Amino acid sequence: MRKYQNIVDRLIPIVFILAILILWQLVVDLGWVERYVLPSPMDIIKALVENWSEIMMHTGVTFFEGMVGLVVAISLSLLMAIAMDQYPMVKKAVYPVLVMSQTVPIIVIAPLLAMWFGFGIAPKIFVVVLVCFFPITVNLIEGLQSVDGELINLTRSMGASKRQIFTKIKFPSALPYFFSGLKIAVTYSIMGAVIGEWLGGKAGLGVYMLRARHAFALDLVFASILVIVILSIGLFYGIAMIQRALMPWERLKEEEG
Amino acid sequence: MNTCQNKPVLKVEQVTKEYNHKNIIEGIDLYLNQGEFVTILGPSGCGKSTLFNVIAGLLTPETGKIFVNDAEVTGRTGIVSYMYQKDLLLPWRTVVDNGILPLEIRGIKKKEAREKVREMLPVFELESDGDKYPNQLSGGMKQRVSLLRTYMFSKEIMLLDEPFGGLDAITRLKMQEYLMAILKKIKGSVLFITHDIDEAIFLSDRIYVINGSPAHIVEEFKVPQKHKETQAALVSSELSQLRRDILKRL
Repeated sequence: MRKYQNIVDRLIPIVFILAILILWQLVVDLGWVERYVLPSPMDIIKALVENWSEIMMHTGVTFFEGMVGLVVAISLSLLMAIAMDQYPMVKKAVYPVLVMSQTVPIIVIAPLLAMWFGFGIAPKIFVVVLVCFFPITVNLIEGLQSVDGELINLTRSMGASKRQIFTKIKFPSALPYFFSGLKIAVTYSIMGAVIGEWLGGKAGLGVYMLRARHAFALDLVFASILVIVILSIGLFYGIAMIQRALMPWERLKEEEG
Repeated sequence: MNTCQNKPVLKVEQVTKEYNHKNIIEGIDLYLNQGEFVTILGPSGCGKSTLFNVIAGLLTPETGKIFVNDAEVTGRTGIVSYMYQKDLLLPWRTVVDNGILPLEIRGIKKKEAREKVREMLPVFELESDGDKYPNQLSGGMKQRVSLLRTYMFSKEIMLLDEPFGGLDAITRLKMQEYLMAILKKIKGSVLFITHDIDEAIFLSDRIYVINGSPAHIVEEFKVPQKHKETQAALVSSELSQLRRDILKRL
């Protein structure tokens, strides 16, 4: 009975999405909306298949920018979170700046980045770092600071050094938080790269979409969006899988609950 | 423990600790002999845990000194072992790996530390649970692992701060008998905190009653050791007299 319920739970979103797609297809096929305004799902798939190699080339560029940016963001976040956790002064000084950095509209900053760093790959990676850095850092710092004070006292009573308390207690405790942040960041990473490319460059899905839009090839714009969505979802589940593999004890809790 | 030798391993001398300019505990004097089980009995929130934090070196007292084996250790950590009411097990570590934590901190290699802990699993009745994660254990079992970890740090002076306070009444009684059985095997010295009179009488050789604000020791009781083999002995007339005497001081 419970298994049956499980299957039903999984089917609900699939059926819902299918229903939307069918409705969308009908709206276009019945001529309620013109094809050049909104291509139908079938048109989009067709465009994707026909331009597969070109779209994949641009996807590769965007993926590369996203992943480099993400790795840089993770490294920076680790450094920042450790510094903020170990030295309260650093947290007091930097935390407000971190929040401020997120209120700056990326779409405004991105052209400036092109001015500063040119039209190469650097400004795109910069945008990715800017959007990914925040969720990882904020979650990680929260994880590090929410460790039970008695647990830290217990470890201190055993004569542990600050470094030992960090590596053996605080960091592993914060891992679930770190992964929550990472899951948000990874879905932003591709989007960040596309925004970076949107303002100019040689290759990448953002550049490709811009060109497609200028040519009124909306089916290609939508095909690119589809690739971005699938890529981002794939990355999200990839991170979730890494998390499950690295933290088997979390799974045990789920099984009990 | 009938075999305790009269050599104090721990001495607390005139310890006073304040918080926000108000004394929490005042003029505490106590000692713990080798192999002895001594309880500090007092109402909840009266400062018993503060006293333990001072003994463990986590807090430095305003006045007074702590001696371990005649050496002064006031304000120094890493000397006595400490067990809390919460199990505080690391969920990402198995039972064995939780047990090796104090050895790791001391710099012992993981492999060697694991062997040492595995040797002790049967003593703590955990022989088939070494590779389980804390999430898979019941509350009572978690406290066994916590006790094992406490023992792995040191059995010379074990501070147990209401270790069974979070358990249900039946599990609690079982854990008291379990603790007695373990202590017979490992021959450790224990300083124990509780607010439960029966628990104190059942487990202890001596009881310090602590009360008042600031908290101080109001009386010390010796617990007669005969007919104390099981919980049932608590209704014997001698022990129920002791119970009445303690109750008067709380």
